[in-house]
Amino acid sequence: MSGVGASFLDRLSVLVVEDEAIISFLIEDMLTELGAADVRHAGTLAAALAQLDARLPDIAVLDVNLGGERVYPVAERLESAGIRFIFITGYGKSGMDPRWSARIVVQKPFNLETMAAALKDALSILPSP
Amino acid sequence: MSQPADAGVAIHSAAVASLALERIVRSPASLVENLPIGIYTCDREGALVQYNRRAAELWGRAPALGDPVIRYCGAFTARDCKGNAVAAEDSPMARVLASGVPVRDCELRVERQDGTKVTILANVDPLFDEQGRLVGGVNCFQDISELVRMKDQMREGRRVARHVMEALPAAIYTTDAEGKLQYYNKAAERLWGFAPKIGEQFWCGSWKIYLPDGTFLPHDQCPMAVALKEKRALVGPEAVAERPDGTRVPFLPYPTPIFGSDGELVGGVNMLIDLSDQKHADAQQRGLIDELNHRVKNTLATIQSLAAQTLRGGDGEFEGRLLALSRVHDHLTRNAWEWADLSVIARATFAPLRGSANNHVRIDGPSVRLKPRVALAMGMVLHEMACNAMKYGALSTPAGAVTLSWRIEANKLHLDWREEGGPAAVVPKKRGFGTRLLERSIAHELGGRPAIAFLPTGVHCTMEIPLPE
Repeated sequence: MSGVGASFLDRLSVLVVEDEAIISFLIEDMLTELGAADVRHAGTLAAALAQLDARLPDIAVLDVNLGGERVYPVAERLESAGIRFIFITGYGKSGMDPRWSARIVVQKPFNLETMAAALKDALSILPSP
Repeated sequence: MSQPADAGVAIHSAAVASLALERIVRSPASLVENLPIGIYTCDREGALVQYNRRAAELWGRAPALGDPVIRYCGAFTARDCKGNAVAAEDSPMARVLASGVPVRDCELRVERQDGTKVTILANVDPLFDEQGRLVGGVNCFQDISELVRMKDQMREGRRVARHVMEALPAAIYTTDAEGKLQYYNKAAERLWGFAPKIGEQFWCGSWKIYLPDGTFLPHDQCPMAVALKEKRALVGPEAVAERPDGTRVPFLPYPTPIFGSDGELVGGVNMLIDLSDQKHADAQQRGLIDELNHRVKNTLATIQSLAAQTLRGGDGEFEGRLLALSRVHDHLTRNAWEWADLSVIARATFAPLRGSANNHVRIDGPSVRLKPRVALAMGMVLHEMACNAMKYGALSTPAGAVTLSWRIEANKLHLDWREEGGPAAVVPKKRGFGTRLLERSIAHELGGRPAIAFLPTGVHCTMEIPLPE
């Protein structure tokens, strides 16, 4: 997959918040393929917030619906910490809170190219820290 | 006169007829006798002095003049409009003779001796002599039975119409031609959330009206106002009524002007259809479609991941995993995607086993209703464990057996997978999909505690999973 611009996530740490185990594998494997140095996972809202308390990632991938809970509190924490993130959802933008629907949203199912493009977008939107 | 009237007309010449008419007109007694209204006169004491033919017809009898028993009125029985018998002393004639003041338009029910009834309108005047002394009274009365019957019919028609309007579940109100509120039914009061005062509110009884986009709509621009001003019936447009308590009701109005028989606008009627339920159903359907879409997209992503994991692991088990996922979906679908029974999932896990292998599986646990995400995770994890048992574990040899048991304790599912009689279990060199799934699903996704031991007797795996309420 070198054509996608492999390893542009070089040395970055990524937090994946996704409640469905099997889908989280897919995201993790894609991130690893894109060169991420450290991929951590949280399956619930509480686990994700606890992860942020412990250590802030360089970028985050957030599934919108975590078994009935919305991931927005995590997005708020990341935003106030100046950390970039992308949303992943099966609902599409119409099913999202209007406050966040204008952000980068990746629709399930997605391929490596879509994931890479969304992450590149996220990294270029905000000025480098 | 034994001859029919028209025969008489044919015999007489025009000149003879004219003379006969003149005789009648010139003789007041003859004219009174022939008037089409009942007339009678009483003296000061109320005794009948004179009555004409029509009076006798209406009374249904011809009482003797001057009879001291039949006083004030020649009727057999008279009743007021409420049906109470009117005593002769209380009759209009008696009142006029007592007071010297005329009585106007007094409606009475006359009952004849033969049982027939007639409604009459009486007008009684006092009679005075040249010195102004009261000497008697005269009553002119006419049959208004037909008029009264029509009036009753109209009143009854209006009453029925009102009952129909009250019984209708749709909100209905009427206004006069100027738009002033005249009537509204119970359903309208429910929709408006209050009871506006009749004759004070104009165009619509709503507290406040808005367009669907939230724009305030003054009452004189509401659909009913437009229909009355433009003198045409409208359907819609949709609007929103705000009640005094602040709640809002979307509705569709059907304002219709009402015209009199002369074509003049006399008022309007409006029916308001409450759209709340429909809006609610629409929103619910949108929600269901969103949810379905979400589920389909998530399932596609799951399948995509299963394919990628299978390729990576090179174990060629994609089809089996897809079927395992599909089986849990089937169970969930049967229960409206609310729950699936762990016993059913467990048995289904081993269903693909062929031949005698099934005799080496013991399943022991109560029925447990699992929520969809728990059911899906359990289905996939058990499938991976069964595959491994068949390939490398207890189910790979004829002597081996698997015991799968569980119990519920303190709202937690305690599950135990024990392989025995097969080859000794060894810690795998590479973390396979099964191990990865066990940890991620049970620990991260379900917040449970998985533990796996690779013993000389075979694999022993326990899981403790909190069950969400």
